Amino acid sequence: MTTYVLKTLWRHRTRTLLTVSGSAVAMFVFCFVGSVQEGLHRLTTGADADRSLIVFQENRFCPTTSRLPEDYALKIMEVQGVRDVMPIQVWTNNCRASLDIVVFNGADPAKIQKSRPIKLTDGNWQSFASQQNAAIVGRNIANRRGLKTGDQFSIGDISVKVAGVFASTVPSEENLIYTSLAFLQYTRGLDAAGLVTQHEVLLTQDADPDRVAGEIDATLRAGSVATKTRRKGAFQTSTLSDLVDLIGFAHWLGFACVGLVLSLVATTTVMSVQDRMKEYAVLQTIGVRPLTTMRLVLTESTLLCLVGGISGTLVALASLSFGGFAIGAEGATIAFRPTIGLALSGIFVSLIVGIAAGLAPAIQAATVPIVNALRQT
Amino acid sequence: MALVELRGVCKSFRKGGETITPLDNIDLDIEAGEFVSLMGPSGTGKSTLLNLVSGIDRPESGTIIVDGTEVTKLSRSKLADWRAANLGYIFQTHNLIPVLTAYENIELPTLLLKLSSSQRRKRVELALEAVGLRDRADHYPRQLSGGQEQRVGIARAIVAYPKVVVADEPTGSLDTVTSEQVLVLLQRLNRELGITILMVTHDSDAASIASRQLLLDRGKFMEPAAGVGR
Repeated sequence: MTTYVLKTLWRHRTRTLLTVSGSAVAMFVFCFVGSVQEGLHRLTTGADADRSLIVFQENRFCPTTSRLPEDYALKIMEVQGVRDVMPIQVWTNNCRASLDIVVFNGADPAKIQKSRPIKLTDGNWQSFASQQNAAIVGRNIANRRGLKTGDQFSIGDISVKVAGVFASTVPSEENLIYTSLAFLQYTRGLDAAGLVTQHEVLLTQDADPDRVAGEIDATLRAGSVATKTRRKGAFQTSTLSDLVDLIGFAHWLGFACVGLVLSLVATTTVMSVQDRMKEYAVLQTIGVRPLTTMRLVLTESTLLCLVGGISGTLVALASLSFGGFAIGAEGATIAFRPTIGLALSGIFVSLIVGIAAGLAPAIQAATVPIVNALRQT
Repeated sequence: MALVELRGVCKSFRKGGETITPLDNIDLDIEAGEFVSLMGPSGTGKSTLLNLVSGIDRPESGTIIVDGTEVTKLSRSKLADWRAANLGYIFQTHNLIPVLTAYENIELPTLLLKLSSSQRRKRVELALEAVGLRDRADHYPRQLSGGQEQRVGIARAIVAYPKVVVADEPTGSLDTVTSEQVLVLLQRLNRELGITILMVTHDSDAASIASRQLLLDRGKFMEPAAGVGR
């Protein structure tokens, strides 16, 4: 019976090909939208987002406008529940939303190595720590910009020598370039000696993040610049608020893709079944059960959907793997990553849509009035 | 007990506000191994009778028993199972599945039975042999002549070793020479393999090869047909 289904699909290969390619394109978009949503979710949740705090200048959003004294780190260290503080100078080529954002984070190399979830895949820490203008580059941005260890990379007034490329368990990290803090502070145009954009605060295991954040702001209230301290996840959400709204809306695009596949495969299957009502009547006259007839039609629609869906999903995953795509705004980036979850959801959605698309025509084929259908010429 | 028993079978339908009764209280017995032809003017219910015996249509009243099974009481799904095991159907227009080869078309009914692949292959090869189409096994219906297509249809009808084969004007779409070949084949299957055949035809020459001829007119069997009790 499988032969029958496969040969039937092959008989109308142009129609089959069009349906499969339509499903593939829709599932490609579905997976892309899914990866953006996953990226945002990863950025705003998880241990890194929940168990670390960002101290930023109050009522400031773009990194270029937040200027905190570097020595705030000493005061922050005194707050109970704080394990470590990393002053960070941020430089970005674009404060607005962009698909090719370049974000430099300047910090103490020893602290970067100790506190960031990154691992060098090329180059070494020694040359990064020992050279003032050295930088280590996240894998994604290295792919996107074609950078490798030893290269000189210039953008705006910044020019760095790539001392290594790193991978990270936190995908958004792979869109960053780390330099030493002093290098960024003294970069022409920033004029930030003794100043930093933000302080990243690591908490002790039992510390309550919201209590610590409140205490930090209270402690620094007497300082020269007022601060706003938030969990890193909340900070990223607030920084990317425009994008968050847009990405929230984009999930409708994902649903639209599913609807598109559903209507495409359903139309093809209905057409195919209506063309072959007599064939189904013949099959049932021979002794094929109505339920088996249903199964034949469902197999047909599911195959169409699965082949298209899996192809679209695979192409999307490959593009996400090799493209190193990320979207960012105001120094924060959302990485688009291929994940097993994304692959499984693509396949699962294709399967369910395939079955749903075939249901009505399958019932039609199974309940065909045999005698009337056999009379058709 | 006859292999096929029809008792008090009525079938009517509405057409343009008028009730037509093609079968009116029909009784019929067909013994195992018989070759029965059913003739009659157009619209007198010959094909309806065939469809009722096959279980692809249901009577308004009456009972149809085939080999001890009352087919009128079976559900659509059970009827399909019953047909797969007990009935072969030869269509006037062959009705082969166009995407399947002759071999695959003939193999279809065997896929519905509990047979091993070697048993299936053996049966299909025997059926192809019986209809003289071994050398056309890999041909698609579009690559066969009308007569060859009908022979594939006959092979498909007998491959599951059914108790009864019904044939709805099997020569209706064939030329004289090919019709004769098909009729000879049916006669051989009846005589050599003992297959019970109920054939509807318009052609009196075709009807004459049957061991018993029935004439249906205005919903009733007419002389010389002796449907019940023979």
